[in-house]
Amino acid sequence: MALEARDLVREYGSVVAVDGIDLKLAPGEALTVFGPNGAGKSTLLGMLGGAMHPTRGTVSIGGVAIDPSVTSWRHRVGILSHRGFLYARLTAAENLRFYADLFGLDDPEARVAQGLGRVGLTDRARTEARHLSHGMKQRLSLARALLHDPEIVLLDEPYTGLDPSAAAVLRNVLGELKDGARTVVVVTHNLREGLAMATRVAIQLRGRFVWEGAANDLDAVAFERHYHETIEVAA
Amino acid sequence: MSTYLRQLAAIVRKDLVLEFRSKDRLVAMGAFAVLAAVLFNFSLDNASVRPRDVLAGLVWMTLVFGGLLGVGRTFHLEAEDDAFRGLMTSPAPKDAVYLAKVVVNFVLVYGLSVLALGVFSLFLAVDVGANLPGTLLVLALGALGFVALSTLFAAVSTGTTMGETLLPVLVFPLLLPMVVFGAGATGRLIAGRPFAEVAGNVRVLGAFAVAAVAAGAVLFRFVVEE
Repeated sequence: MALEARDLVREYGSVVAVDGIDLKLAPGEALTVFGPNGAGKSTLLGMLGGAMHPTRGTVSIGGVAIDPSVTSWRHRVGILSHRGFLYARLTAAENLRFYADLFGLDDPEARVAQGLGRVGLTDRARTEARHLSHGMKQRLSLARALLHDPEIVLLDEPYTGLDPSAAAVLRNVLGELKDGARTVVVVTHNLREGLAMATRVAIQLRGRFVWEGAANDLDAVAFERHYHETIEVAA
Repeated sequence: MSTYLRQLAAIVRKDLVLEFRSKDRLVAMGAFAVLAAVLFNFSLDNASVRPRDVLAGLVWMTLVFGGLLGVGRTFHLEAEDDAFRGLMTSPAPKDAVYLAKVVVNFVLVYGLSVLALGVFSLFLAVDVGANLPGTLLVLALGALGFVALSTLFAAVSTGTTMGETLLPVLVFPLLLPMVVFGAGATGRLIAGRPFAEVAGNVRVLGAFAVAAVAAGAVLFRFVVEE
């Protein structure tokens, strides 16, 4: 398995944000997790990406359990958060160059140019991130997340606040991730975009997967109705 | 260059670029040093107090208070757009992140203490040239020990609801021995005493700085991991 979680639990005091989630994803699989605010989706993604320690349970990449305190496996994972991890006063190129150095990439200048080109920001290379539009920042964040060519890609609400043209660029780049080699986990509210890139789908409520299925069997309209019914019943 | 050094250098370079572009901490710390010098210039009665006798205390006061003003904001650079999480989920070891922050803070705080020495000696008309290399060495070791401890505690206080107001409460008691030895050595060097007379103090300052950097590098990950 490329990415595996076993009995993953994360508690904040008496609040259980993630409550015993198991998942197994092979290379080439893309899991989209839908759920309302507070379902624990971002916490799940945080643990899968090693940003936080689970209270219980393990996350394994390529069959090896990861330790969030260790950094040697981190080049295998790319994370796109709903926050960009960008420095406002660094230019687009400087932001990517910084991460290229952190990931120890060879030929960093070429990787930066390639990353900017991939998301259509070559002409904004020398623009400070604070002067970029929200859509451009999101594209730059995506370039940052994919700069080191990770085998596991974790995306947290990638389409939030994007205009149609920025969403189209993002859709194209995310479509390139369906190369059969990468494993992708997306958490989102956006049913249409989430379904478009998924091979598997799950609905998360109160920290648990309450429904899971294969995306190619799904009727999008029926799934949307089922999703809304599920969260209304839970509410 | 090893990957570790490349990661450390990247963080240092990034922080320095951000610092010189925003100038937030540079202006706050520089203004504090100059303002303190101006105020003491007018408030000291040269007939009853010899400026040479109080100069070391004033320089160390500026190093500590002005330094806290800057070091307390160490992690504000990372707060925007949750950049700190980007750093924490990168392959950069936590101790490299800490050491990079110490290097940048050392540049700022040592610069502040040298500026303070310069403006106080100018305003109070005290010649500090006789033992200048020794004085600069004492200030360098003092600044290193100071930033090693205060950078670690800045990471602690940034995560609390009290924020940087908690930093002095946490760090002052631990800084006390260093300030006592540092101010004592600086005072004697400014008074024209030979360096050999303060060699013991310098060794204590050096040991304090090395121990503080080592402890900070080991403990930092326990402070920042979620």
